[in-house]
Amino acid sequence: MSVPLSQMWTVATYVIRQKLAGRKRYPLVLMLEPLFRCNLACAGCGKIQYPAQILRKNLSVEKCLEAVDECGAPMVSIPGGEPLMYPEIDRLVDELVKRKKYVYLCTNAILLQEKLDLFRPSKYLTFSVHMDGLREEHDEAVCRDGVYDQAVPAIREALRRGFRVTTNTTLFDGASPLRVREFFDEMMRLGVEGMMMSPGYSYSKAPDQEHFLRRSRTNQLFSAILSNPRRGWRFNQSPLFLRFLMGKHDYECTPWGNPTYNMFGWQRPCYLLQDGYAETFKELMETTPWENYGRKSGNEKCQDCMVHCGFEATAVDHTFSSARAFIETAAVTFTGKL
Amino acid sequence: MSLQGWVPEIGPYLTLAEVIEHAFDYRGNVTVVRHDGDQVVGYLSNRDAAAREPFVQVIDEQGEGPIRIAYADIANILFTGKDPAEGNSWKAWIERKEREKAQAAPSNSA
Repeated sequence: MSVPLSQMWTVATYVIRQKLAGRKRYPLVLMLEPLFRCNLACAGCGKIQYPAQILRKNLSVEKCLEAVDECGAPMVSIPGGEPLMYPEIDRLVDELVKRKKYVYLCTNAILLQEKLDLFRPSKYLTFSVHMDGLREEHDEAVCRDGVYDQAVPAIREALRRGFRVTTNTTLFDGASPLRVREFFDEMMRLGVEGMMMSPGYSYSKAPDQEHFLRRSRTNQLFSAILSNPRRGWRFNQSPLFLRFLMGKHDYECTPWGNPTYNMFGWQRPCYLLQDGYAETFKELMETTPWENYGRKSGNEKCQDCMVHCGFEATAVDHTFSSARAFIETAAVTFTGKL
Repeated sequence: MSLQGWVPEIGPYLTLAEVIEHAFDYRGNVTVVRHDGDQVVGYLSNRDAAAREPFVQVIDEQGEGPIRIAYADIANILFTGKDPAEGNSWKAWIERKEREKAQAAPSNSA
């Protein structure tokens, strides 16, 4: 596993503080969406289907920072849309780094090379580059030829300049475990700090409805990919979450772990479902009927979901819930054996 | 199936609250018609049926808003804007790729 020690320490002490305070529900990663515009229209993405006036709008930096301060999560993920199209992305990132938030700027890397001068390397800033596989698979997933070949040199350049770079990969039904393993080898050769992955979620708004994974198929796919991991592979995510994807843990969703804020407000209940918006984070936490979500609730929208934004926070919480879970996490981290 | 172009007939078989739920789920612009005849065209970004005075929020075509409108003031909602979620980009992309592959195949074998 490849999360730096300082980040591990920040997360560990934060989670322990929440537990000591007796908080059952707490945020771990704020999903901050300052815009919905994107320079791609990927088949599996349901995030950018809005009318023109919505796609033109941006959250102000001040609004973003208010949300960050109100939420209090130690990590901030900036998805979108494409965050490098946000006109004040440099100021936003600067302010977050000043607040010592660990920032994951999720980008397709098309604009990364030309925008790199806007940023300074920091242990708090990571470019999390969307890569759904090797050239053929990635370009197919993003519905445009040539994107892989734009992303790879951008990653190289960011690494050369000393930035933290990870990849994030969404896997859909039909993914070839062998090709995914080759892709991991290639990303490690490229020198990224670590890789993140998740199964896709069946967005009702996504143009491609045929290739979302069902739960048992997700377990089969991730077991085939991860059962015999190569020594050099590094993952920038909770090892227990990866074991959950392989079917070795049965977790329940904790959607409050990754709360989402965008121009509509605080999204209920999670990053993927849109059942309404709260004006404040407090209102989100206190008035969302959480019992209506997750697999146990019977909510059909939640039955096949195993996405990181619902379950990674569960896995992290599990790590600090017992000595056994902590030892399991430590063992997987040090041995690399999933 | 897209609701684009739908003009709901609110009555005994379709309530305003149901139409609002459909409008909230719709990713295109809608036209909110008030009882006084005024209309607001925009994206219905939120609704709260459980509030003391249930309301919707609309971001108009100029991007201004959210404009808050009480359920009690709404006569109907028309699905007038294009539905951007009704996409066939995946299908179109795959078909185009297959066409390209098919076109390339004879020249490769020649």
